[in-house]
Amino acid sequence: MPDPERSRRTFETQVLPLLDAVYRVALRLAGEELLAEDLVQETMLKAYRAWHQYQPGTNLRAWLLTILRNTFINQYRRRKRAGPHVDVHAIEAHTVFGEVQDVDPEGAFFHRIVDDEVLRAIDALPDEFRETLVLSDVEGLPYAEIAEITDVPVGTVKSRLFRARQALQRTLYQYAVDMGYIRKRDA
Amino acid sequence: MTDEPRPIDCEEALERLYDYLDGELTAARSEQVRRHLERCAPCLKLSKFESAYVRFLEARARTRCAPDHLRRRILERLLFEGGGAEAP
Repeated sequence: MPDPERSRRTFETQVLPLLDAVYRVALRLAGEELLAEDLVQETMLKAYRAWHQYQPGTNLRAWLLTILRNTFINQYRRRKRAGPHVDVHAIEAHTVFGEVQDVDPEGAFFHRIVDDEVLRAIDALPDEFRETLVLSDVEGLPYAEIAEITDVPVGTVKSRLFRARQALQRTLYQYAVDMGYIRKRDA
Repeated sequence: MTDEPRPIDCEEALERLYDYLDGELTAARSEQVRRHLERCAPCLKLSKFESAYVRFLEARARTRCAPDHLRRRILERLLFEGGGAEAP
C-alpha cells in the first residue's frame, strides 16, 4: 500500500528545490507577481496530482516547466496584461556591434543598465521569443530541453533565441543611448 | 577524418556563434569556430561582444527567487491534498 506521507516527502524533496526556477519562468510568462504566484501554485498542485506519471530519471525540471507552460497557455494567457502586439517578422534581428565597436567594443554599457530595465525589456518581447529567451538565458537550459518544453524543433528554438537575443540587445542599446550611457555613432 | 578540421568562413562562423557560445556544438564543429576566431580579428571582436552580452543577460535575469509566503502556501496545499500523489 502506498504511503501518502512518504510520497509527499519524496515530492517535496525533489520538486521544491526547483521552485525558484519555476517561479522565475512564471514571472516572465505572467508578467506580474500575483499572477505568477497563482500560476506556480497551480503548477505545483498539478505536478503533485500527476506525480505518479513522472518517470524517475527523466528530466524533472523539463517536466515541471512543461506543466507550467501548458497551465499558463490554457488558463492564464487571457488574464495576462495585454501583451505586446508585435509582428515577429518585423523585428530587427542583427547585432548592434557595428554601431558600438568604435566606442565600446566590449559592451561595457550593458552593465550600466539596471535589472528592472532588463526585465522590462524581456517582458516586452513577443510570447514565443520571450519564453525561449527566458528558458535559455534566465534558466540556462540546453536547446534540446527548451525544444521539449515549448514543443518545437531544435532549429526553431535556435532561430527564436537568435532573434530574441538580438531584438533585446537592440532595445537595451537604444535605452543606453537614451540614458546617455553610450554615445550613438554619428550617422 | 583528418586531425585538421575543415576551415570555415566568417559567414559560417557567425551563423554558429550563439551555438558555440552556448556550448551546443559538437567538439569538431566547436573547434572549427574556435580556429576561425583565432585567425579572424573582426569575428573574434564580435564574438567577445556577444559573449559579454549573453553573460550579462544571464547574470541580470537570474536574480529572483520564489517568495517565502509562496513556498509556505504550496507546502500547506500539499498537506491539504493528502495522499494524492504516489511515489514514482
